[in-house]
Amino acid sequence: MKIIVAGKGGVGKTTLSGTLARALGRAGHRVLALDADTNPMLGVSLGLGAENTDLLQGVRQGLESGTTEHERSTEGFVERFGRDAPDGVRLVVATRIDRPNPGCMCCGVSPESLMRELEGNGVVVVGDLEAGIGTMWRLNEADADVVLVVVQPTAKSIEVARRALELASERVREVIVVANRIREDDDLEMIREALGHEYDYVLIPEDAVIGEADRRGEAAIDIDDHAPGVLAIVALADRLAGVSAPA
Amino acid sequence: MRLAVAGKGGSGKSVVTGTLARILARRGHKVLALDSDTLEGLAFSLGATVPDSPPLLAAAARGEDDRWRFVPGIGPVRAVQRFSTSAPDGIRLLQIGKTTTGGQAPVMAATQAFHKTIHGLDRARTFDDWVLLGDLSAGPRQAAYDWAPYARRILLVVEPTRQSMMTARRIRTIAAQTRPGTAFSLVVNKATHDEDPGMIAAFLDLKPLGVVPVDEAVRASERAGIALIDHAPDAPALGAIERLADALERSTVEP
Repeated sequence: MKIIVAGKGGVGKTTLSGTLARALGRAGHRVLALDADTNPMLGVSLGLGAENTDLLQGVRQGLESGTTEHERSTEGFVERFGRDAPDGVRLVVATRIDRPNPGCMCCGVSPESLMRELEGNGVVVVGDLEAGIGTMWRLNEADADVVLVVVQPTAKSIEVARRALELASERVREVIVVANRIREDDDLEMIREALGHEYDYVLIPEDAVIGEADRRGEAAIDIDDHAPGVLAIVALADRLAGVSAPA
Repeated sequence: MRLAVAGKGGSGKSVVTGTLARILARRGHKVLALDSDTLEGLAFSLGATVPDSPPLLAAAARGEDDRWRFVPGIGPVRAVQRFSTSAPDGIRLLQIGKTTTGGQAPVMAATQAFHKTIHGLDRARTFDDWVLLGDLSAGPRQAAYDWAPYARRILLVVEPTRQSMMTARRIRTIAAQTRPGTAFSLVVNKATHDEDPGMIAAFLDLKPLGVVPVDEAVRASERAGIALIDHAPDAPALGAIERLADALERSTVEP
């Protein structure tokens, strides 16, 4: 199964992706976490630590700097450029912008090409996209089974989610709106009113543990795996994993 | 004053940019706000509207040689004069335009025109006495592709999270290579603990030029989609951005 996480910057895509991947790994699934943000931070939310995350090389940069011919298969990339995170999750960074003029980001190894080629066969892929909808309109049906559009109760993130939903619905079988940082009773209602009642909504409450994890640069699930926000993501993992049994 | 504002997504770039623009405009500066983000942000925080389609679409066309050029009669100055929109307090707002669900192609002319315009602003004496204030998209992408050529100084907006600090460090490293000589200033946003500014300053080795406290009024204005300065004129965050404006006016890095 392939899951993609999209939304405006700062809505909590990476926290959701990292925690979801860890929860799926803990439940016994083989999980591949794909960091598809050119400002890759998924390692932090997976619990690899901030400094380790800063040292990870993107597949694209790895190929560019390599002097020998690499095996250009996606399995080869995962093997060569991947890194093990806790709970058996394997992390791969697609592309990292680390210098001026890094070339065209949608040519060669792109997030969507990696998503496409990462075959399911018992592996759950969680792809954390770059902020916005840039990758979304290059997605094909083969690239993902589920798109999670993350939104928080702000006018700006709702506008981005609106376009992301429109694109995702055209391209991918299952679309779920993840309403994050929900605090007041009418936060969810405001989002639902704005985006439409036809979508499937999952709620993640505002959670001080996630805030503390962000502060420290750690995985929320490592600080308290019974925090309300973490539990909501674990429940979402259980629901999504119901599609395919653990390997 | 020629500034671009950068940082991680959600760090508050647009709130800082939009509010700063309004404050400077009220102090009598001529302000040109440059929105280079294809996602929602600056227009909301300025209290301006987003046109249905980007006005700059009409400013550039693709030639038979496949190269994009300004249409006849348009240059950087004319592009600003004709295709910027009005924002409150007399601000002019030039928007790259929002990506549509049809992809990049339908807005490519506007993207190209915006890029040409910002790269021509330095040679245009018309804006010598203006404040140029740009809001960049999330992360290091636009710093790497030279989307703030007008900026003498980049304001790094950083909240007290590890990822926000790391992003600012990455942006600074890349932007310093893209445009050597650019000055960098730190704006600490959503400060919650007394030690936050010091922690971030130590991480980035930059003194904070401004410290904006976490503020329920900002949350409420973001929820409502109303500019902070209109929604909560007495908000502590607004006072902090006014002090940031003071510091910028006093600053001496101008050419």
